[in-house]
Amino acid sequence: MKEIIKLILKYHFTIIFVLLEFLSFSLIVLHNNYQRTVFSGYTASFLSGISSTVSDIDDYFYLRETNENLVEENTKLRNQIEELKTLCRWYAMDTLWNPVDSMEVNYVFKNADIVNAGVNKTKNYMTIDKGAADGVQPEMAVCSSDGVIGVVEKVSRHYAKVLPLINTNLRISAKIKKNGYYGSLQWDGEDYRYSYLNDIPFHVSAEIGDTIVTSGFSSIFPENELIGFVESVNRETANFLTIKVKLATDFKRISDIYVIAHTRRQEKQQLENEL
Amino acid sequence: MSNLKFFLHLFMLLLLQLAILDNIQLHSYVYINVYILAIYILPYRLRDATILLFGFLVGLFMDFANNTMGIHAAATTLLAYMRPRLLILTSNREQIDDIQGKQRISDFGWFFKYVLVSTFIFNIVLIFCEAFSFHNFLITLLRILCSTLASVFFILLYYFIALKQRQN
Repeated sequence: MKEIIKLILKYHFTIIFVLLEFLSFSLIVLHNNYQRTVFSGYTASFLSGISSTVSDIDDYFYLRETNENLVEENTKLRNQIEELKTLCRWYAMDTLWNPVDSMEVNYVFKNADIVNAGVNKTKNYMTIDKGAADGVQPEMAVCSSDGVIGVVEKVSRHYAKVLPLINTNLRISAKIKKNGYYGSLQWDGEDYRYSYLNDIPFHVSAEIGDTIVTSGFSSIFPENELIGFVESVNRETANFLTIKVKLATDFKRISDIYVIAHTRRQEKQQLENEL
Repeated sequence: MSNLKFFLHLFMLLLLQLAILDNIQLHSYVYINVYILAIYILPYRLRDATILLFGFLVGLFMDFANNTMGIHAAATTLLAYMRPRLLILTSNREQIDDIQGKQRISDFGWFFKYVLVSTFIFNIVLIFCEAFSFHNFLITLLRILCSTLASVFFILLYYFIALKQRQN
């Protein structure tokens, strides 16, 4: 403190000079129209430069929030699409065939977050932060905005265990989008980026880059959910092709996902089990 | 030079500046400012903050009169700040004692140098504050040079007419 006072006393002449000059310049800028215009021109360009940089940086901190909002909006929109689809079907339908619950939607989307995931084993599992309390039940489909992720296997009250595509136990029904031939998709347990589509008849033309989607037969997934793209085609056995599929979902970087509930699954299964 | 005499000169200089010189419209290239002589002829013993305050107030007074808020004040404050250093640079001890108008004609050299440098600094600040940009830099420079020469001429004129004691 003593040193500071000493320093101020030593340089008081210069300090007072600087203060007076500062006062003069502020008077110039405040009270002269021309100088004020020039000065505010400089400061405006300078400050707007700074503020745009700051807001650029600032945006990064809100990326997560923005992302969550987008996912939420996405879910809402997909629910609306389902509602509209039902509505369309209802209008197109013969009134005699109008079932009682035709205004209900087929699929309901609910967004969730992955809280734990593995990709290194042959039997990988994931955990998501929605459980029975949120209406999640076993055998519901799990997708991300990139594509199919897997199927809910078990649920607890607040969490659910998901069997992803990269688990050798999971087989799902998939089809080639352009011609509709379907087969079963199963992972070989090696590279988490690729899976295999089996049981496609050998005469079917499948080319590299073709889109593979869900078939909708399993009553788990809605039809035409993206799975991946054809990477290569092998004819291993005499009658069937083995198609290597590059998965659309990158299992190492998914975070925002949604669970899809099929509202009429029970009804469908009941019908199928009746004999 | 007594205090009374100094304030008389200060009053005279300001009056001269406001009543006559500020009314001479010599194109925008030439500004004649004689009142800064009041800062030049302050007693040498004034070296502390008083001189800064004096410079600032004189400049501010001119600003009020000319409606140029702050421009003269910025220039005169710098002038007051530079004065002690300039005096030490351009003269020796005996000449400083003579600043109040007693020096002989043979010492005219250092006084001229002192006035020229001071006025030049003053005009640099004044005219750059007024132009407030570095566009047309050469024209601004020309204005500084013209204003400096004209001001120095009138300052010396006033100095020799009114201030310098007649030598016998």
